[in-house]
Amino acid sequence: MLRDELRQILEKGLRDVEADWTVPAGIINDPEMHDAERERVFGRSWVFLAHDSEIPERGDYVVRYISEDQFIVCRDEDGEIRGHLNSCRHRGMQVCRAEMGNASHFRCPYHGWTYNNKGSLVGVPAGREAYGNKLDKSLWQLKPVPKLDTYKGLIFGCLDPEAQSLEDYLGDMKFYLDIVLDRSDAGLEVIGAPQRWVVDANWKLGADNFIGDAYHTMMTHRSMVELGLAPPDPKFALYGEHVHTENGHGLGIIGPPPGIPLPEFLGMPENIVEQLQRRLSPEQVEVFRPVAFIHGTVFPNLSIGNFLMSKDHVSPPTSFLTLRLWHPLGPDKMEIMSFFLVEKEAPDWYKEESYQAYVRTFGISGAFEQDDAENWRSITRVLGAQYAKTMELNYQMGRGLYEPDPDWPGPGKAFPMDYAEANQRNFMEYWMQLMVTDPVPHTGNGKVSDGTAAEALARAEA
Amino acid sequence: MTTATEITDTTVREVTEWLFTEAELLDGGKYREWLDLVAEDLSYVVPLRVTREREAETDIVEGMTLMDDDWDSMEMRVLRLETEYAWAEDPPSRSRHFVTNIRVAAGGSADELTVKSNLLLYRTRGDVATFDILSGERHDVLRRVASGYRLAKRVVVLDQTTVMTHNLALIM
Repeated sequence: MLRDELRQILEKGLRDVEADWTVPAGIINDPEMHDAERERVFGRSWVFLAHDSEIPERGDYVVRYISEDQFIVCRDEDGEIRGHLNSCRHRGMQVCRAEMGNASHFRCPYHGWTYNNKGSLVGVPAGREAYGNKLDKSLWQLKPVPKLDTYKGLIFGCLDPEAQSLEDYLGDMKFYLDIVLDRSDAGLEVIGAPQRWVVDANWKLGADNFIGDAYHTMMTHRSMVELGLAPPDPKFALYGEHVHTENGHGLGIIGPPPGIPLPEFLGMPENIVEQLQRRLSPEQVEVFRPVAFIHGTVFPNLSIGNFLMSKDHVSPPTSFLTLRLWHPLGPDKMEIMSFFLVEKEAPDWYKEESYQAYVRTFGISGAFEQDDAENWRSITRVLGAQYAKTMELNYQMGRGLYEPDPDWPGPGKAFPMDYAEANQRNFMEYWMQLMVTDPVPHTGNGKVSDGTAAEALARAEA
Repeated sequence: MTTATEITDTTVREVTEWLFTEAELLDGGKYREWLDLVAEDLSYVVPLRVTREREAETDIVEGMTLMDDDWDSMEMRVLRLETEYAWAEDPPSRSRHFVTNIRVAAGGSADELTVKSNLLLYRTRGDVATFDILSGERHDVLRRVASGYRLAKRVVVLDQTTVMTHNLALIM
């Protein structure tokens, strides 16, 4: 149950986000909010686990997380992708203690219970002597991820067995995800493994930053503006679109300012441009053609950055694609997992340039990434305090300035520039809706809401 | 055997002095002066590691790194720090490079030395009472030039797979 005080903050927040376009600062760094969030947000959202190229061969596995729960995501002996709780059914010991590898079986080092990579318990030492052969091994398989599904190579898991399907959950966001994930015949591959690092910051700040915040570029990244790696035009985000969909998802799509001669389609190599024009719909091609920056978040904690940037101050720009997971470790701590992906069929020169541009701009040491972490940890520290938690944060950008764009060829609610905070409000509103909606275990279709704050409030009060 | 591959006490002392001077420059925020100690064909790499079973041949990941710089990108870092807007290091971290276990050996060519050292890098920012520590082993190639030594290559193998600091804004 949600404590009354938290419920009041959230219900006021839901009213304010619609009426005043503000968000309560107290949702950022608060231990009780975090506890409730684990159950109410991460307990029923589809959470990104891995890309299928990370486990290409039978037996390949990686260990990944939904909230604190740890799962072995593997390709079993039949080639099927599975997710198992990394915990032995006897005493709960980890059965896999490496981050990645290849294994046909996982053996618990405590007492030796052994599971195959389908999750079945296949070996119990001294089974005859210890259990008199009465242990029904079929009842003691590794616990599966309650729901596991993939979309265009992305593997997601969900802890709510009654949740809506992944397809429905992603909804209109799929139109935009396809532009990134499905533009080549052979698809994408994760190169190496994700970079992992810990930041003393709340995970929502990363999600908020990527879903819509083009506004921070000119100040946070001003050093890179001065070095010519980010657009010098302070109005650059005017030349973009700001789009959000149901279930809290959203993205920004920015083209070059007029007169700046950037290549079409993020300057992708010719063979990929040829493929994407064939694979994507005419509307998707129209959306993608002028793009120089795509930034977005799939609710709750998967973000996308597909940017055209230079690897240093003397080289021409190359595009790169990063996926990042803002994995919560507490109200004031997250682990960032940052993935670099590239089209399998891209030429080697492009893969190399793209890798270098990523590592030097948006990897852990990247000249852009560094400054973002600085902001998020500072915000988190400040908003953890008693008086600061009572603030309302201003989410009013663009208020009264523009209406949804009727000419936008894609789905979702689109605004004709990226200086807007509709995506961020939509994200926070959906987050608050989930937070005030008490979980109803194993009933209904698990669909919480894609409606208005008022509906969620009415349900909460009912 | 040529004299160039012979590692004398003098060579070890010179290399040790070079590493300590370098540490002093980095901890003093004198990045432009540090850049003068770097060769123009610099390769500076911090590999990405993952936790693997003992039977795996290596825990270093192929194809991805935490840092992969050459002279141009290193100059970009320094130029960035010279702007007024490099927030990640403004106010600057207080850092301390502890360099130990220095081992000097002959390099791949007559004018080069390979140098291994252990690094403990302490970092603290602002007025918070916490700090970050990075520990690792450096594999350097130092090249002898008329005025001393230049860093031609550095590989910093960190001991953590999940890095416990919010960015790698410091030069290790």
